Amino acid sequence: MIYREAGQFKTSYLEDGQIFPIRQDRIAVALLLLIAFVVIPLAATPYFFSAILIPFLILSLAALGLNILTGYAGQLSLGTAAFMAVGAFASYNFMLRVEGMPVLLAFVLGGICAAAVGIVFGLPSLRIRGFYLAASTLATQFFVVWCLTKVPWFTNYSSSGVITAQQVEILGFTFDTPARKYLLVLSIVCLLALAAKNMVRSTVGRSWMAVRDMDVAAEVIGFRLMRTKLTAFAVSSFYCGVAGALYAYCYLGTVEPEAYNLDLSFRILFMIIIGGVGSILGSFLGAGFIVLLPILLSFIVHATGLPNQVTSNLELMVFGALIIFFLIVEPHGLARLWQIGKEKLRLWPFPH
Amino acid sequence: MQFFFEVLIAGLLSGVMYALVALGFVLIFKASGVFNFAQGAMVFLAALTVAGLKDEFGLSLWAAIPVAMVVMIALGFLTERVVLRPLVNQHDITLFMATIGLTFFLEGLAQLVWGSNVRKLELGIEDVPFEAIMESTGMLVSQFDVVAALICGALVAVLALIFNKTKIGRALRAVADDHQAALSVGIPLQHVWGVVWAVAGIVALVAGLLWGARNGVQFALTFVALKALPVLILGGFTSVPGAIVGGLIIGASEKLAEVFIGPYVGGGIEGWFPYVLALVFLLVRPEGLFGEKIIRRI
Amino acid sequence: MSTRKIGEVILKVDNISLRFGGVKALTNISFDVREHEIRAIIGPNGAGKSSMLNVINGVYHPQEGTITFRGETRRDMDTHQAAEQGIARTFQNIALFSGMTVLDNIMTGRNLKIRSSFLEQALWIGRARREEVENRRVVEEIIDFLQLQHVRKTPVARLPYGIKKRVELARALAAEPSMLLLDEPMAGMNVEEKQDMCRFVLDTNEQFGTTIVLIEHDMGVVMDISDRVVVLDYGRKIGDGPPDVVRNDPEVIKAYLGAH
Repeated sequence: MIYREAGQFKTSYLEDGQIFPIRQDRIAVALLLLIAFVVIPLAATPYFFSAILIPFLILSLAALGLNILTGYAGQLSLGTAAFMAVGAFASYNFMLRVEGMPVLLAFVLGGICAAAVGIVFGLPSLRIRGFYLAASTLATQFFVVWCLTKVPWFTNYSSSGVITAQQVEILGFTFDTPARKYLLVLSIVCLLALAAKNMVRSTVGRSWMAVRDMDVAAEVIGFRLMRTKLTAFAVSSFYCGVAGALYAYCYLGTVEPEAYNLDLSFRILFMIIIGGVGSILGSFLGAGFIVLLPILLSFIVHATGLPNQVTSNLELMVFGALIIFFLIVEPHGLARLWQIGKEKLRLWPFPH
Repeated sequence: MQFFFEVLIAGLLSGVMYALVALGFVLIFKASGVFNFAQGAMVFLAALTVAGLKDEFGLSLWAAIPVAMVVMIALGFLTERVVLRPLVNQHDITLFMATIGLTFFLEGLAQLVWGSNVRKLELGIEDVPFEAIMESTGMLVSQFDVVAALICGALVAVLALIFNKTKIGRALRAVADDHQAALSVGIPLQHVWGVVWAVAGIVALVAGLLWGARNGVQFALTFVALKALPVLILGGFTSVPGAIVGGLIIGASEKLAEVFIGPYVGGGIEGWFPYVLALVFLLVRPEGLFGEKIIRRI
Repeated sequence: MSTRKIGEVILKVDNISLRFGGVKALTNISFDVREHEIRAIIGPNGAGKSSMLNVINGVYHPQEGTITFRGETRRDMDTHQAAEQGIARTFQNIALFSGMTVLDNIMTGRNLKIRSSFLEQALWIGRARREEVENRRVVEEIIDFLQLQHVRKTPVARLPYGIKKRVELARALAAEPSMLLLDEPMAGMNVEEKQDMCRFVLDTNEQFGTTIVLIEHDMGVVMDISDRVVVLDYGRKIGDGPPDVVRNDPEVIKAYLGAH
């Protein structure tokens, strides 16, 4: 009854094409943002910030990046973490080597470096598809981590290969507490998510989906395959790169290249499968799910008195089973379930 | 020069092991079009089951192997029933992702049952240089590697026999050619897939025994699957000879690259060199050495 | 039929031969298409009709022959060039973007009119926003024209076959093409749907002056709406001319009926 669009008439194409066409949705999103920006910083504990909220937001951003490439443009990637690593280590070096480099600019430049690497490793996608491309992105994963480990310049000749991210300071304001870092991450993630939504509702987004759904037809109506695919690689890698930089600067603090290993890539892939392939909301839902699940599992294992070691193995099994479950039962993931719920709510209480 | 040949032969022989893993991939890919990312996890599970049965239950090697074989066959049929059958006619990328899920599940399962410690596996073949070869040419060639190569050869011969001479082999080739057509002449597709997965499980067991005996049964075994990927790209996803030749090329070239190029760039290039080699090859000949050329129609 | 005026030759294919490995799909095909006319290509299954369309808009590259479009002679076309020069098409087996809505599918047809970069689109500022609205307006006109209002926001995967064919036509029209290649636009339709589709094709031709090259199996339709007909058989041209002439051509009758 409450959730209904009756009486809300669209009088212009701009109004019809807005992100949340239903008024109740707009109110809900405004409320959510209010809670995220005002209520949570006042209420949450430092543990809650650093163990749940910050990784959730950063991984959402990485998942969003992968979703642009895999979900929207249809190019499967197993090398997400590699692009994150490029973003992190590039930002680190810009901060280190350029006097007075503003940290936000360093993040952006890190993202741009990741985008450049993305374009280079995206080149094979012009000739190959499917598993072959997956293999090529795996190569990216191994090569980038190897490179960052073997070339000491990237880690500033640190003997252990570990770098310590510099202090995050913007216009004299230091982001040193978990709550402050959270606010910084939240702002960046919100802005980039909005930009992503804008892209997927415009021509560039349609070009990605067209290439994903039927590349020959896309070419025939005038999309350039090369440009479209490489744009997807670049934008996706940019998002992953920024996420990687945030992962180093606002989450881990000290990082080695191995932190961005294949396992992280898989985890992000799982986020979009469970959350929803080809959905921006899904990236967030999936990230939330994958961040919370291990915490929940360890809680259960703890309560039942099983040895701790069981948790990690149980986690692997549950992840694996869930992936298969979602692929079979709901290939569009949590985002689709959410959508179905909303449709039901629109009709409630008179479904006929 | 002698050193070169030693490295080459060691590389070729370790390539045999890659070929063995790649063989499991090819079997499943040919019959069901599924790229089975879980092949490495299957290798790990099989090896760990044998080692675990020996250590924990005091079974002898020859008692543990049949039990592990039963486990792998059961796993094959179960996978077909639980994972593949509900996903029939889905996009091949969907199936691929499902096998990534399967990989995680099997890795978790294996370690949950048998623990995460490295286990030793003795097959009774010593990893010492072949004396006969050392005396005649002065080269060091591992006895273990040669035996492994022989076992691999025997396995391929048996598989070839099964494919070409038995009824199930014929059904399998029919399914590999065309699912629809095979169904329409009454070949039970699901049954054939179950069989193929079971056979792939047995191949994984053999690979697991050899790899496990060589490097210890540990989680790192699952990475073998990642090595098999460039092997498949080189050899073509559907070709058994391709898997063998591809395995040999990758094995030899990665060892040679590591020994002769590695020192100049800091070493450890084994991890990515095969991929780069495979990708360069891919750009020249996308269907692989022995794969079938794919013509896309619209 | 109408008062429209058929103009000069706009497309000329000359001695086109196309092979796939050892298989000859087309052998020495030559014909021309005049501006504003409806040109049909007919022939039995496997005669090379779709291959011919694929050559015209650059999906296939013939081994021999030339294509002259708007006075420019080429060895072969390039798909992108073809699109830019105003050639749009539909496919025999519907080639819509199945994960997108009807509206988005038709909007993709406008892609060559978009000037804003992806950065402007990401920021949703100025030009990007204006272009989105302008193109939406054009697309809504096409939706009106083809009577697709009720399915505007439906994902195409959920639509019935006949509507999908119409959406594909809409997507092609969104590009405002000067030449439209239609590959069996009426295949698999019932009588009513066929009548609708015929109407749409004729209206397009009359209202926008679009030149149409069409492959169709329904002889009634072909004879009714087309100005001239090319007949292909086994990759060779066996007839060419106005419907009445082609219909009585003994060679054509032989190919269709297999009579001696």
